[in-house]
Amino acid sequence: MIGLNHYLFVSAALFSLGVMGVLTRKNAVNVLMGIELILNSANINLVAFSRYSVASLDGQIFAVFVIIIAAAEAAVALAIVLSMYRIVKSVNLDQADTLKG
Amino acid sequence: MNPEILQDLESFVPEIVLTVALLLVVLADISLPKLRTRVTFLVTAVGLLAALCFTVPLFGAGEKALFYNMVALDRMAVFFKGFLILASFLVLLAAPGSKELSSTHLGEFYALLLGVTLGMLLLASSVDMLMLYLSLEMVSLTSYIMVGYLRHDRQSNEASLKYILFGAVSTGSMLYGITLLFGLTGSTKMPAIREALASGGASGGNGMALLVATALILAGFGFKTAAVPFHFWCPDVYTGAPTPVTAFLSVAPKAAGFATLIRFFFSGMSDTTTSASQWSAFSAMNWTSLLILISIITMTLGNIAALRQDNLKRLLAYSSIAHAGYMMMGAAVLSYEGVQAVLIYLITYLFMNLGAFLVVIEIFNQTNSFNVNDYRGLYRRSPFLAISMTIFLLSLMGIPPFAGFFGKLFVFAAAVNHNLAWFAVIGALNSVVAVYYYARVIKAMIIEGGDEGAGFKLAGTSRALVWIMLLPTVGMVLFWDRIQALTGRSWKFFIG
Amino acid sequence: MDPTAVAQVIFYFFAVLTVASAAIVVFSSSLIYSAFALLFTFFGVAALYVFLGADFLAATQLVIYVGGILILLLFGVMLTHKLYDLDLKTETFQFFPGFLVMAAVLLTLTGVISKTQWVSRGERPLNPTTIAIGLLFMREYILPFEVASVFLLVALIGAAMIVRRRRS
Repeated sequence: MIGLNHYLFVSAALFSLGVMGVLTRKNAVNVLMGIELILNSANINLVAFSRYSVASLDGQIFAVFVIIIAAAEAAVALAIVLSMYRIVKSVNLDQADTLKG
Repeated sequence: MNPEILQDLESFVPEIVLTVALLLVVLADISLPKLRTRVTFLVTAVGLLAALCFTVPLFGAGEKALFYNMVALDRMAVFFKGFLILASFLVLLAAPGSKELSSTHLGEFYALLLGVTLGMLLLASSVDMLMLYLSLEMVSLTSYIMVGYLRHDRQSNEASLKYILFGAVSTGSMLYGITLLFGLTGSTKMPAIREALASGGASGGNGMALLVATALILAGFGFKTAAVPFHFWCPDVYTGAPTPVTAFLSVAPKAAGFATLIRFFFSGMSDTTTSASQWSAFSAMNWTSLLILISIITMTLGNIAALRQDNLKRLLAYSSIAHAGYMMMGAAVLSYEGVQAVLIYLITYLFMNLGAFLVVIEIFNQTNSFNVNDYRGLYRRSPFLAISMTIFLLSLMGIPPFAGFFGKLFVFAAAVNHNLAWFAVIGALNSVVAVYYYARVIKAMIIEGGDEGAGFKLAGTSRALVWIMLLPTVGMVLFWDRIQALTGRSWKFFIG
Repeated sequence: MDPTAVAQVIFYFFAVLTVASAAIVVFSSSLIYSAFALLFTFFGVAALYVFLGADFLAATQLVIYVGGILILLLFGVMLTHKLYDLDLKTETFQFFPGFLVMAAVLLTLTGVISKTQWVSRGERPLNPTTIAIGLLFMREYILPFEVASVFLLVALIGAAMIVRRRRS
């Protein structure tokens, strides 16, 4: 029987992979993909709890808002990445080093 | 429409005013080609002032929750609303006067400023984790954009890229922690979370889950308040952002972060609902110890790193990290006295920190530099700026009779009164270390000689703004008892 | 065939699809492979939502994540490389420490999950959710709903402002 823990393990795997992506990737768009993995993992948690634990729609509504916020965040992040690319001609994070003091 | 919602709208007027102002600014920006700079500025200024006026009467309104327990209206929320609107207003006045921003079109800047203020008001009053996350992201996203406002400037772009990547990871992790808390307690509302934890939700094997959840949630709070180990973005972002934005970030979102941290630990995690002078949070571990540890590491790291900085913005960035550490001291004792200390510290910090940044802006306007070596001999070129900066720096050091002294006094006193005298001693030692880097700037300005340049011509508005920051910094000693009374009444929380 | 067995097989299929795609996103050295693997991850998550009875959410996930965010990411990939750069390789740094952190996080989380007694108020029956969600948006969740719209406006203005070309 598929139960709550199955979904939680899937989301834990996604979260860990997302963290890995954020920590090891040099390309800013890749880091963004890692962030989206983290947000999706949280959403799976919410919906799974909503179905198996809390027995109400609260988790699903929260998940809808998370999707909204993730979309806005991705848009702004990509805008910043594009703006950066125009000036530096690269989006590798090791090129972003003029601020070190 | 549900009559309850209509009633709640009456208590929601500041936020509504801000939203209307935001919409008007957007409309004005796209439809009035010639007048729009002035009109947008005016609409923003009027909007912020009106919101402030509507906030003040809410102070006596009693505690209740609005909009189906999404946000709370209590004295603490009203205090922070007033504080945050004031901070935004002061930054609004400073923005057009800065050389960095005056060459760009500021219509969107004002819209973003209104947006971030709205987000901060909601953040300071959220009692539901969904609302908390939504408003936290609203503040964060607008901040990311404001930092990258100079889109042709490489440093500004780099700063906003680092900021958004770091911030998105921190808030994403916080979200994961919120979901774990949701699974543990069955609700996203802080009062319900507290009740669920009180009736055994955290017992046995669940203690570990609660620990992980809260640690992840602290990642988000740590990011907003720039506490170690979530402070890495702070120096780079503060240095690369346009200085008015830096000034804003160092005060307002930080304060909002503290507001929500306090509210989360009190409304969501504490196990006393009476007006006892101390509350303790549930958990498998001692949160006070963790917060104390974070506070010590934060203030120490901030102070030590600031010692080596020549760039004023970077120096003030590390200085603000250190100050967050002192404020965390007040939060760490987890009591009403500690909360009051944090509120007092924030009031003093607002004026002295904004004042310091204002002077930095003015000096940049005249000399194009943020380097302390170019501050040499400032006293000869502009005695007004040199003296004002000296006062702000002395206040940041915590020297009496300036405002900063009172902030530190209350925070240290709160620690001492909770049998944590050693904690206060560490704070005091840190303050002594901090004297060195602040004094270095003062010495450069007043004692050392620099290239003889022309005297500075300060615009009247800039001069007036510096006076606005100076007066509370210097005059705090005259009315500190009233501040104490005000903040003493402000720690009433909605408990639900 | 036993329906619960079929359900299990399908669940495992989508779960493996999701996690494996996520692994490709994180470990692949080609940016394009990562982007398309992300597409499969989002699809897998949408399928999991359907399994959990969240029909409205699954549709929203597909429309916004796949139809919006993924397209944005692909634009991001395309627009941040020179036209002739067909390789689109990405580099990694600190791979081994990052891997250790990931393993630590994964172990902690799985440990926590298996030991914890989550709240149990029973299971939610698998009903269509759209009407209920719509009603909740207008009642209990009206404040976040309205705030989200202002939030999107501000994000829109900001993002557009950053990317706008300099007016000549």
